[in-house]
Amino acid sequence: MENCLGVISFSNNDYGFGVLCKNRPAAMLPFGGRYRVIDFILSSMVNHDIQSVGVFTGTKIRSVMDHIGNGKPWELNRRFKGLFIFPPLYDNDATYRRLGNIAQFHNNEQFFRASKEENIMVANTSVLAKVDLDAAYKHFIETDADVTMIYTRTKDPTGRYINNDKLYIDDDGVLINLGTNLGTEEEFNLYLGTVFIKKEIYFRIVREAIEKGNANYLKEALLVNRGKAKINTYRHEGHVFCLKNAKNYYDANMSLLNSDIYKELFYSHGPILTNSKDEPSTNYKETAKVNNSLIANGCIIEGSVKNSIIFRGVKVGKNAIVKNAVIMQKCIIADNAVVVNAILDKNTNIGKRVEIAGSSTVPYVIEKDYIIRQESEI
Amino acid sequence: MKKEKIVAMLLAGGQGSRLRALTANVAKPAVPFGGKYRIIDFPLSNAANSGIVDIGILTQYKPFLLNSHLGIGTAWDLDRDTGGLRVLPPYMNEAGGRWYKGTANAIYENMNFIDNLNPEYVLILSGDHIYKMDYMKMLDHHIEKGAHATIAVIEVPWDEASRFGIMETDKNGKIVEFAEKPEKPKSNLASMGIYIFNWDALRAYLLKDVQNIDSTNDFGHDIIPMMLAEHNKMYAWTFDGYWKDVGTIKSYWEANMDLLKDDDRLQLYDRSWRIYTRNKNLPPQFISHHAKVVNSMVTEGCIIDGEVNNSVLFSEVTVNKGAVINNCVVLSNVVIEEGAVINNAVIMEHMVVSGDKVIGLVDDGHVYLITEDSIIIE
Repeated sequence: MENCLGVISFSNNDYGFGVLCKNRPAAMLPFGGRYRVIDFILSSMVNHDIQSVGVFTGTKIRSVMDHIGNGKPWELNRRFKGLFIFPPLYDNDATYRRLGNIAQFHNNEQFFRASKEENIMVANTSVLAKVDLDAAYKHFIETDADVTMIYTRTKDPTGRYINNDKLYIDDDGVLINLGTNLGTEEEFNLYLGTVFIKKEIYFRIVREAIEKGNANYLKEALLVNRGKAKINTYRHEGHVFCLKNAKNYYDANMSLLNSDIYKELFYSHGPILTNSKDEPSTNYKETAKVNNSLIANGCIIEGSVKNSIIFRGVKVGKNAIVKNAVIMQKCIIADNAVVVNAILDKNTNIGKRVEIAGSSTVPYVIEKDYIIRQESEI
Repeated sequence: MKKEKIVAMLLAGGQGSRLRALTANVAKPAVPFGGKYRIIDFPLSNAANSGIVDIGILTQYKPFLLNSHLGIGTAWDLDRDTGGLRVLPPYMNEAGGRWYKGTANAIYENMNFIDNLNPEYVLILSGDHIYKMDYMKMLDHHIEKGAHATIAVIEVPWDEASRFGIMETDKNGKIVEFAEKPEKPKSNLASMGIYIFNWDALRAYLLKDVQNIDSTNDFGHDIIPMMLAEHNKMYAWTFDGYWKDVGTIKSYWEANMDLLKDDDRLQLYDRSWRIYTRNKNLPPQFISHHAKVVNSMVTEGCIIDGEVNNSVLFSEVTVNKGAVINNCVVLSNVVIEEGAVINNAVIMEHMVVSGDKVIGLVDDGHVYLITEDSIIIE
């Protein structure tokens, strides 16, 4: 895929995550024990030989810069090509005031013009999947499409995917409509937010959207162009996780305890690359009792851990119980504490004998850096 | 504030023949240790953490893996434009090609490298030991005493003293006598093979040593006795942390087992003095429903379905359901199949241990090195 430019654009809708996204965009949520959500798409691009990647960061930039830096973990710290970061531009000029990624794309047109690649892959980070991008790209090239959108056929009896993008296509896979799933059908086509576009068509679509003012987001602009451009689709077979809210996020983490999903997400089509933290191996002490859990390096476990995702550098004290929980980096769970059905954000400190429990349908979320003590200990 | 100019020279050419199959394909400094490291990571990280930015690595025996592990020193933040990490293999010149004859000869042959950096002090390190040390404290002592040379020493048990180079000192810590592996040691202060020299003093003695055709060109044998005989000011600097020479399979196994002890004398988990290494980017370890992991260190990429007691597991080790390992050091990418019971063993990389194997006894005092071709008992 040397002839393809990678573009990652964050969704602006972080409200479903509550305090988890207070200071970070959803794309930067820690995921799967040692990763961030963005690592999946970034690694996929690099593993499929995309050599230039542009990241449109949205407004919460600090955590993006901190994590991505110069792109070294993905080997995007290149003298030629490599990583390009586009923070949002603000100005009084009419085009700057618009919402959506179209305005951001338009205002950074020079990046697209200067690149030699003739095709563009645009992806967002609200969907996690290991798509075989080589096969999708091949389909895009062989069908000589102007645009190829990637989707999956999904069954959703419990309404997990309400408010996600729903795709209508004809028998040949050509785009008919793109809307929002309201749960009226149990089985439908879920758009993954990943699309291949010929660069010349991309310029035309983006400019037209700005001039006519008829689209704020690229997906709207595609819909407007469905008669004029050749827009077809590619179907992804495999697991897909939409991240729209804290519950989705919790479930997606928990699904990694299924070994098929673990292997698909972590090993198919190349590894997931991320920042190294230089943590030593995890130490399971004499009193440790660990079952059915995913555990990153640098942890010291003395208590009981069950059905949980434990990030790097976490400490679980003696007789502490952690169950059905997502415990992020450097959390401390002191002796005799209990954490059940919960998400603990980074660096949370749960004191001795403190008990925290949510339900599996509504996990209890604790904000980053919180220290929770029993009253008698304060 | 400008720091005193010091160059570290790390002797990494040794074979470590007593480690037998562990060094069949790699130099001793490249032997894996402690779940995710190689032995050389300890002195290198110590140097990096001490703020030493110029470091030469002298390689000779089977350097290929060592070279790719070191790269340009990025993992230790030693990839610099000026100075930084340099690998120094034996080379050819007008006088012909030759191997490094001894430790001092290796430094002599690279005198140009040191002269170009023009340091005041040279720190000599070896890539054979497991320890955490702040070399700057040793340098401060060296400067404070106005010494020509300072030798780091550690107190060893009296009955083991005859295995080491032993220093006899006066009450100020000035070395009055040095004896290499004495039958009747007069002190229990053993040389750790870590020296700081004033470069002009060392330079003069290296030039003198090379004139002596009977010399073995070794620091312990030749240079230090010669400097002592000529009344140079040489001081011992006593180190009181954890230090282990991993010269034999048994001491290698013991040093790994030391990491599991509750007192953790090496303080591997101390974040203020981390050990750095090349990062493999593997997913978190998965501990299944059936697994039992107690008093062990487990590394990223491992999948544990069986029983693991008192063991150190490197990356991507699979322990299948029904397999049991006790007191083992399992190098990376090993598979232990159902039914296998392994005690007190070191298992080489990429081995598949079949289910009919029962190896070793928990309490017979032996250590077993399991390789593709044989089991070596020590």
